[in-house]
Amino acid sequence: MPEPRPAYLRRVTQTMLQHDIPRPRPSRTSLAMLVLMTSAASTATAADPVKPFSMPKDVATVLSTYCGSCHDENGKGNVSLTQLDKLKINERLDVLNKVHEQTFFKLMPPAKSEQPGPSELAILNKWVLAELRQHNASKFDEKVTTPTGGNFVDHDLLFRGDMKDKPYTPTRRWLVNPQIYHNRVLDVFDLKGKDRATNLSGIVNPFTLPERSGVRDYDVASLDGSHFVAMQANATWVANKIVGSLRIKLGEAPDKVFPNPKDRWYPKSDNGDKKNPVKLLAPFEAILAKKTPPTDEELTAAIQFHFERALHRKAAPSELQNYQSLMRSAIELGGNIEGLRRMLIAVLLESEFVYRVELGAGTPDQFGRKQLSPAEASSAIAYALSDRAPDEPLMQAARDGRLNTKQDYEREVRRLVFSDTLLRGEIDGTLHEIYPSYSKNNISSQPKIHRFFREFFGYPLATRVFKDVERSDGYYQSPGRGTYGTPGQLIREADLFVEHCLTKDKNVFEAILTSNEFYVAPRDNAEAKIAGLNELYDRFKDTNWQIDPKTKTPPKMSDEDLSFIRKRLNYNSDARDLAVAMKHVEHFRKAGLTPHPVWSYPFHIGHLTPHANSYNLAPPTWKYPAQQPFAVDHRKGILTHPAWLIAHSENSATDPVRRGKWIREKLLAGTVPDVPITVDAVIPEDPHKTLRDRLAMATSKQECWKCHQQMNPLGLAFEIYDDFGRYRTMESLEHPSNIVAKAKAKYGADTYKTAPVVASSRLDGTGDLALDGEVKDALELIDRLAKSKRVRQSIIRHAFRYFLGRNEMLSDSQTLIDADNAYVQSGGSFKAVVVSLLTSDSFMFRK
Amino acid sequence: MFDRRRFLGASASASGMMLAPWLQNALGAPSPGKPPMRFIFMHKGNGLFPSVLVPPSLSPADADKEQAKDAFSVDLNKHQLPDWMKPIAAHKSNMSILQGLSGKMCQTGHHTWQSSLGVYKANEKLTSIKWATVDFELARMFPSPLSHLELACFPTGGGNARGNINGIETGFSARGPQQPNLAYGSPKIALRELFKVVYNNKSDQVEYNLERKVLEFTAGKQSSLAGNLNGVERTKVANYADSVEEVRARNGRLEKMADVIRKHLPTLDAKYLADDITTVDRQRGHVEILLATLISGMTNVVAFTADELGTPYTGLNRLEKETVNLHDVGHNKGFGDLKADEVRTEVRLQHMSLINTIVTRLKVVPEGDGNMFDNTTLLYFPDNGETHHSSGVEWPFLVFTGRNTKLNIAGRYIRLPKHGKEGHKTLGNLYTTILNAYGNPIPHYGDLDLALEKMKIDQKGPIREFLA
Repeated sequence: MPEPRPAYLRRVTQTMLQHDIPRPRPSRTSLAMLVLMTSAASTATAADPVKPFSMPKDVATVLSTYCGSCHDENGKGNVSLTQLDKLKINERLDVLNKVHEQTFFKLMPPAKSEQPGPSELAILNKWVLAELRQHNASKFDEKVTTPTGGNFVDHDLLFRGDMKDKPYTPTRRWLVNPQIYHNRVLDVFDLKGKDRATNLSGIVNPFTLPERSGVRDYDVASLDGSHFVAMQANATWVANKIVGSLRIKLGEAPDKVFPNPKDRWYPKSDNGDKKNPVKLLAPFEAILAKKTPPTDEELTAAIQFHFERALHRKAAPSELQNYQSLMRSAIELGGNIEGLRRMLIAVLLESEFVYRVELGAGTPDQFGRKQLSPAEASSAIAYALSDRAPDEPLMQAARDGRLNTKQDYEREVRRLVFSDTLLRGEIDGTLHEIYPSYSKNNISSQPKIHRFFREFFGYPLATRVFKDVERSDGYYQSPGRGTYGTPGQLIREADLFVEHCLTKDKNVFEAILTSNEFYVAPRDNAEAKIAGLNELYDRFKDTNWQIDPKTKTPPKMSDEDLSFIRKRLNYNSDARDLAVAMKHVEHFRKAGLTPHPVWSYPFHIGHLTPHANSYNLAPPTWKYPAQQPFAVDHRKGILTHPAWLIAHSENSATDPVRRGKWIREKLLAGTVPDVPITVDAVIPEDPHKTLRDRLAMATSKQECWKCHQQMNPLGLAFEIYDDFGRYRTMESLEHPSNIVAKAKAKYGADTYKTAPVVASSRLDGTGDLALDGEVKDALELIDRLAKSKRVRQSIIRHAFRYFLGRNEMLSDSQTLIDADNAYVQSGGSFKAVVVSLLTSDSFMFRK
Repeated sequence: MFDRRRFLGASASASGMMLAPWLQNALGAPSPGKPPMRFIFMHKGNGLFPSVLVPPSLSPADADKEQAKDAFSVDLNKHQLPDWMKPIAAHKSNMSILQGLSGKMCQTGHHTWQSSLGVYKANEKLTSIKWATVDFELARMFPSPLSHLELACFPTGGGNARGNINGIETGFSARGPQQPNLAYGSPKIALRELFKVVYNNKSDQVEYNLERKVLEFTAGKQSSLAGNLNGVERTKVANYADSVEEVRARNGRLEKMADVIRKHLPTLDAKYLADDITTVDRQRGHVEILLATLISGMTNVVAFTADELGTPYTGLNRLEKETVNLHDVGHNKGFGDLKADEVRTEVRLQHMSLINTIVTRLKVVPEGDGNMFDNTTLLYFPDNGETHHSSGVEWPFLVFTGRNTKLNIAGRYIRLPKHGKEGHKTLGNLYTTILNAYGNPIPHYGDLDLALEKMKIDQKGPIREFLA
């Protein structure tokens, strides 16, 4: 059994995360300020004057008993705990934050020293937190709502089932993600179907999500000045497009209205049907076409029309009045056109345009919670499962009063989650911003659900780690202009792997963690393409198919031959393409292999899947499997996929610390303190040592090891893979002094001395006794992880954060237990988890 | 003559009180008696090859080192400048020719987007913009009402073309990750947008007042909304309302500076305001805007794209009737009667005359116990490295530094150890040096060079020898 967390921590965490103390909700951009403001409102009001410093006797006793021998007046690490009263206030608060951090992460007192009991720790920490909070200076409070603080809530308490508080989410404004913003702009133009692929060249997305492994979109972010700059430019562009469209309709020349030849798109002002013409911008057109100032009714119609499109609601009477007033004064200055333009801009500058507002409605229940209004619920469901506003059935359900009960939610969630077509689309448009043809490969039937696994595992970050092509022996292409290079291919294949597991929807976590059935350069109709190449080769191998190198003239082909070629290659292929195909087949046949069906047209010869090297697959040894996915040796799940391994590597080396931290935090619900700012985390160079040995040189000191012991053993198990994701048993000691042979090819790798890879470790304190103990390597570690209840629950905790946009509180305990049960009882269906989360009280209620 | 310190003093005494710190900051004066530092990043498309920056008067021994690209340094005052630098000869003692930096971690080739200012591989993908470019980092350290200004002679051809070179388009600087900056493409649009506070054109005044109305409306509505909220929700909306208010306040500050701005309002001839302006006149017009905004205190940092590979060159000396395609020049095509090298020389001569204008004009603005140039750093460099099809193995710079600046390199020709040699330095090292020198403690600015990493050459941190 895992060691229970000391009682004091349960109480501290419980108290802090319950509703009796409002959560600090820092902004993505001005975190410290928000914390200060929120904390000021919650813990140290004007009526609550700061008390002069004094230390209760029982606290002093704990400190002097367990800390005093080292941290006396000449304390170790310049930390003195016996004379806190003599420190300046900032210094004292700094020390108290350190005390809290050290005890929370169980880093102090040192393991060999006498340990305080739970009640003593509780006395100490209760006082420390109170001291910090009365000065709004608790670093712990700062972190607890942020992504790094997600695991601060006691895991065992969350899943034990004795928490009785009713789940809810605090009322909130959740800043839209970049994709939702993009869709909202498209909605303003009322673009539908293929028109939604319109390139809005004047729009710069004001929002970005942090680039990290793990859930990225939290409700803590706040609008700020940099957002406003982009929002203002975008709003002006949108307004000019709408007004410009009408100016053109009213007779002005398009090139005069839009002088920039690269930005001449504008929205349609009518439906283009001459028999049944419909004005698409009628309320705006009425104002623009008028020579006299518009009537109140005309202003109202225009405002409501724009509100419906931009904010998906009608303007309230007071808003109408304000907007009418704005329009009137703008018309006075610049005529009807300016009145319209300024209104269009102003609505798009409403904070509501970029916040998802979830306040709840109606009478609070006995626990003080309000349920989401039907309109809020329709948006919450839509944005949980997609980046688009609610679809028509969802909006209709809201209008009809059929979005009130848990069953109502479940009906709509199931309709969307169990459809293969309704939400089908790109998994993450932001990765593929300008190459739509490439992005079409990264498609999912449930893009938003799929994106959870992308973010959780973080494998798309492989595109952000640049590698030296020569170190790869010439096969690795870093992303650049027009290409996502090798990592782009690998990410696509990791996406396919995840999609395969999600589509089966059985034991999803276990499958993603342990399956060795990977995709490598898959192609549609691969068997037919291979057969076609073989048929070509067999038909022409004894003919004069080669192109004369002197004249470069291709042989003449009969119509029948051309027809034969075109059926197997491309509709307009000719003798030159045949020559390429013949060399391609020849290349593989010489190695005793069937030709790979992998080419883009026109294609290159032979080694067309260089990225396969990251799976240790390369001609002449690689027999291309037409049926995919297929079993790949030395692999076991996503953590051994090259995309994940590269994403969690350094430019020129593996990264056991980052990999270990990822597992500790994402799979074991564990916590690792931040690197102290005084530590220059650098692995020393030593040409004679492996990375493992050099890492030990940097982290084996006691003060380092107390944190690194939680990461290094887990991460070192992955040393059986190099930083390109290739399986290995020997490590190249890449140092100029170790070169034994210089590269022969232009982009070839030098050959270095090597040393055997040691990937074994001993795990302790994982929180699951079945995981602890000796581990041989990553493959054995993964097997253990996949069987662990704690790992399953940890993934569910992260899924909660993804779909709810916040960290879990202890009051969310029942929601998490239900989601966990849904997974187990459904045989490992992740869709069941999603349904459970989106019909939970945590999702439905606000307080 | 406008004296900023005198202006500040006058403003303070007129109001009978010391200026509030925010106003001092807004006016670009962090503390009394200590004017802000100013930075001009003037970059061009490729065509500034290392070989043309070498003084012709080097001793045989130094010439050999130059040929071998071995490190050395000489006093420029004891040497003759290359002919094309004649326009800036008067500023020799303020100038350094910096050779041997590399930028292999940058996008190189025809077009490089934010690479040379951000030190990463930027391209047309927004996600390639990893962080704020160095000019924006400096703008944050030396705040001003405009914060930062970017002017550009946009490309209309090649793989990085803008549709409207006379408008406001995506520039070559970045405000932050995935946030490209916007740049003014013509003196006309820059004049209209930047100086509308004092501009007399009626339609522009109407436009300005309309913008004010929307800002006022938005600020009021969001402030009112925030007033009805509590806790974090209040903060989230209030934060936004404050941002809008800040823009209004900035406009207000500019309005308060109206007299100063009016005094320095560029008086541009009609030809500089025409839509069919030549490239050379566009550059001259931009320089006038640059000077006016710096001298009036509207900004302390300007990024200026003198040209990009896709910028069609018109109005060049000896090529007045030609539209020069710099890409063709890169492939050694001549224009008019000039060979490719001679075209490049004319382009550089033009740029040197612009720099001379900037430095000379700043030198006559009194500031402190000297002049405004004392507190100015101007960097002139190509956006893509050493050749037309470069790999970034070299990245030549001309750096002009005033008396109070914190780079100790003035008056020298400096060749640093070449790429791959111990002691080699990169663009990242240069920018780290500048940032560190003025108080940003960043350990290293920019991406790392993987080739140097493989060679185990230390490439992080400032160039300590450059720090004053």
